Amino acid sequence: MPHPGWSTFRFEGIGTQWEISTPDSLVDAVRRELLGTVAEYDKTWSRFRPDSLVSGLSRYAGRIILPGHAVGLQEVYSALYRLSGGAMTPLIGSSLERLGYDATYALTPSGSPLPPPRWEDVLDWEGTELAAKEPVVLDIGAAGKGQLVDLLGKQLLQRGHTDFLVDGSGDMLHAGKHPVTVALEHPYNPRQAIGTVELDNSALCASASNRRTWGDGLHHVLDGVTGKPVHTTVATWTMAASALVADGVATALFMVEPAALEEEFEFSWLTVSSSGAAAFSTGFEGRLFT
Amino acid sequence: MTTPLRKSIYVGFAGLSIIGTAAACAPTTEAPATQTTSTQDGGGATASSPSSASTSSSTAVASTGASAYKDGTYSSDGTYTSPNGQETVGVELTLAADKVSAVKITVHPSNPNTRKFQGEFASGIAAQIVGKDIDELNVSKVAGSSLTSGGFNEALEQIKSQAK
Repeated sequence: MPHPGWSTFRFEGIGTQWEISTPDSLVDAVRRELLGTVAEYDKTWSRFRPDSLVSGLSRYAGRIILPGHAVGLQEVYSALYRLSGGAMTPLIGSSLERLGYDATYALTPSGSPLPPPRWEDVLDWEGTELAAKEPVVLDIGAAGKGQLVDLLGKQLLQRGHTDFLVDGSGDMLHAGKHPVTVALEHPYNPRQAIGTVELDNSALCASASNRRTWGDGLHHVLDGVTGKPVHTTVATWTMAASALVADGVATALFMVEPAALEEEFEFSWLTVSSSGAAAFSTGFEGRLFT
Repeated sequence: MTTPLRKSIYVGFAGLSIIGTAAACAPTTEAPATQTTSTQDGGGATASSPSSASTSSSTAVASTGASAYKDGTYSSDGTYTSPNGQETVGVELTLAADKVSAVKITVHPSNPNTRKFQGEFASGIAAQIVGKDIDELNVSKVAGSSLTSGGFNEALEQIKSQAK
């Protein structure tokens, strides 16, 4: 737990481990509500379950009505799609499936890398309405976990919890009067950290190219223009007001220069390349070990 | 058919211990904290062939005579095979008394992105990462992604066998 005496609610959701820490233990009703939000998010967006809202679109073209949070998700994704020249796209699912990262976790490539279809060609997404002109495999993994972190934080605030840390396996949102110090994991040695940051009413997200390695070079961060994995930057960290933005730009930093992202998003960033070199903006200044 | 130019980057991975994963009798946390000065070749056209002469090792550790590995400087390449080609990571380790006293990583800048990311940090400040054991930090939260770099570890394994 982030502070002595705090209570932590642990659970599994959208395929990862979650920890919500608060000064006082969460009552059962609040816990159930939080789990309900996680379940609804999964039921909407998971491309790994056949009964989800988006997996229907992988079988038939058509129109779906998404929950209200889709408005914010669309804004972030459309900006990142534009800034990355199409490299970062919610349509990356088909390329991930092609490389073996499919609903059955085949983990065996079924062919050479396949670029996803272009957003403007197949997808019409306005707010909560999303229409696909052909069957598409949507994957909002690059920002979805961050958004769920935000949604859980919002729910805590609505229930009167003003001090908390929501931690979705490294994607975090902090609120309240007690800042939390977070170690930044060494990209090559999980027993080590390369620095620490103080999280104070802000979100922190991390992304790494080989987090989910299942074969040589086939990593989960793909370039939407070529459908091939991205190399060179091995890890990124970002801080922003929302975990949705922090998560989205943490992934985008693998494909887009920080300066381009900074023109549209307010965030701090740290990147580590495969050579062990770090680059960072002011928010991470003085936070790395020397 | 042309040999890719290599750009050398000297990296200090403090606390990295090759022995920690190789020999049960060796301590895992007492590796000398080598912090080789980070220098990045300018110009991008410097062909640097790894050689023992160019490796600086500031920590001379006396061999105790029961080393699992021979002292010396070893190099090996680790590769990531991606569908559009290979990215090669050259790893050069200097071993002294079973400890890594210097690490040098060489990356082929044949990939334009590699060259770009290594050479330019438009709005950031280039630095070399240095690790500290998380156990020794007073933190309860960690952000990152537990992983090992396939290429780096592959090269490490080859060096282990070379140094036997």
